[in-house]
Amino acid sequence: MLVNDLFRLSFHNLLLHKIRSFLTSLGIIFGVGSVISMVAISEGAKRQSLAQIEAMGIDKIIVFSKKPPVTGKSDSSSTQGGITETYGLTQIDLSNLKKFDNVARITSLRNSRKKILKGTTRLDMLLVSVDISFLDDTKCKLLEGRWFNSIDEDNYSNVCVIGKNIKRNLFEIGKTGIVGSMIRVEGALFKVIGIVENNLGTQFPEVNSPNDMIIIPASTSDNLFGYNAYQGQGRRQMTITHIEFDVFIIKITNIAFIDDTAKRIKGYMDKTHQKEKDWGIIVPFELLKQREQTQNIFTVIMSSIAGISLLVGGVGIMNIMLANVYERRKEIGTRRALGAKKRDILSQFLIETVFLTLLGGTIGIAMGIGISEAVTRYAQWPTVYTFWSIAVSIIISGLVGIIFGTYPAWKAAQQNPIEVLRAE
Amino acid sequence: MENSGEIVRLENVKKAYRMGMNDVPVLKGINIVVKKGEFAGIMGSSGSGKSTLLNLLGLLDVPTEGKYYLIDREVSRLSDNRLAELRNSCIGFIFQSFNLFPHLNVQQNIEVPLVYAGVPKHERNRISSELAEKVKLTHRLKHRPTELSGGECQRVAVARALSNNPSFLLADEPTGNLDEKTSAEIMELFKTLHREKNATILMVTHNPELKPYFDRVIYLRDGRVVGEEEFGA
Repeated sequence: MLVNDLFRLSFHNLLLHKIRSFLTSLGIIFGVGSVISMVAISEGAKRQSLAQIEAMGIDKIIVFSKKPPVTGKSDSSSTQGGITETYGLTQIDLSNLKKFDNVARITSLRNSRKKILKGTTRLDMLLVSVDISFLDDTKCKLLEGRWFNSIDEDNYSNVCVIGKNIKRNLFEIGKTGIVGSMIRVEGALFKVIGIVENNLGTQFPEVNSPNDMIIIPASTSDNLFGYNAYQGQGRRQMTITHIEFDVFIIKITNIAFIDDTAKRIKGYMDKTHQKEKDWGIIVPFELLKQREQTQNIFTVIMSSIAGISLLVGGVGIMNIMLANVYERRKEIGTRRALGAKKRDILSQFLIETVFLTLLGGTIGIAMGIGISEAVTRYAQWPTVYTFWSIAVSIIISGLVGIIFGTYPAWKAAQQNPIEVLRAE
Repeated sequence: MENSGEIVRLENVKKAYRMGMNDVPVLKGINIVVKKGEFAGIMGSSGSGKSTLLNLLGLLDVPTEGKYYLIDREVSRLSDNRLAELRNSCIGFIFQSFNLFPHLNVQQNIEVPLVYAGVPKHERNRISSELAEKVKLTHRLKHRPTELSGGECQRVAVARALSNNPSFLLADEPTGNLDEKTSAEIMELFKTLHREKNATILMVTHNPELKPYFDRVIYLRDGRVVGEEEFGA
């Protein structure tokens, strides 16, 4: 009876160990899980933002018009019909900036939102006039038809190229023969000659993505609409916004001096637009460097969090293993009596701990991937797992086992086998 | 070195434990010789130094003074690793509470000393199967100790003790946790091993009923051998 009780207790203890071991490795599981998912999320975010930055082109400087903060002294004049607002980049800026060293060419954009009619339906869409170099400098892809050529430009042809989203909004799905059809803008008819797509996620400040544009040649726009930008519908009065250009895409000859060129452009803009801050500048190359810096800071913070959670997990495991050693004195003593050397006992316990942490690490990786997948699915954030984040997690789990398992294992090896032979 | 036929020889062995500032002597000069093929009982009441003597004989502890010869080799001052090797190869331990591993089956339990001796698996399986047959547990090879009776457990322990073909078996109250009938069975197993295999057995007990099984009984009291009694085998 006594014997049965004893065995039942041992069996019960073993089961208890299993559950306790699992609970103990939870520290490692959550540590590794959070690291894997955070790395996946940050890697996804990094790649997305890098793609966006690179979509603008690291050999570009973007200068754009922006509505100045209302200070009361803005250059707006009341006329009978409404208010005219004047701000932003000008023709003079364009010709001056073109003369700068290290500037290869400037592609200008004007957002001239006009009344766009398809049949009799009035649509509120983005009409953007651009230079021919726009297609190359924004890395847009021509899906159908053709792009503008110099003949269109010289003849002020009424032609347009539409973004792929415009195609979807303007025509029924599956409709063919879009290229060649006509759309009406402010009474003028434009022939659709091509469809473009930008799948790099390029977003121009104040103007948006090329996918959402109806694009016409700059010369045609100048000829038809003048330098006026779009007519906005004010709450009480018609507001006519007078912006000569919305965006300059400045292509740089030598990227090594891009910082200096950007500085000179800023200097020029500061000087010529002293009245108010009606412009902005984006240097993708700088953004790239900033992004890298942010990434480094993020990495340091994440490593610290990972380190702390693994430390806590490791200490938890060490704690449980020490209790384990105490509980299994009899087993240790018996093994020693039967011929186990100290190093045999040491290895046994060390391997148990490492196995525990590796198992925890593996579960953690699975959990991390699960979290990343959930984040991708429900929050629409892109996530990317890298091979190294998984490899490093496994190696680190093993290392945690070795670091925090050594002391309990040593303790186990130091158990005095005489204890076993004492009458129970 | 010539073989004297002596398995164990203790010469004036003393053992003292340090308790605070004082050394407390437990063994006060023990002289014992056990010859090959002997079945000797060591008897004494609790506090007589039985357990300490058992630890020394089992190479789990070293004497403070005196010499211990195991098959004519002095073993009283060996390194921890060397002692573990000798425990593994020369001594077959049998414990009062069996000390089997509950998560291993009978066969695996028998093989534990062989594992530490570095015997390959197929060889271990052969030896453990043979030994299981010898202790009549062949039908129980794949059972866990929890599924066995006390007597069966002790038979597993005996098989385990025999697995490395030791110089002598060292049993500590092997029937202490068993009922009378099972005790007799186990003692008969020892007797058979003794008679048929000429096994050398040292058994520590305080149970006078076991006396008839022994060739010789060594009485211990207060850390000294106070008498011996020989029975014609």
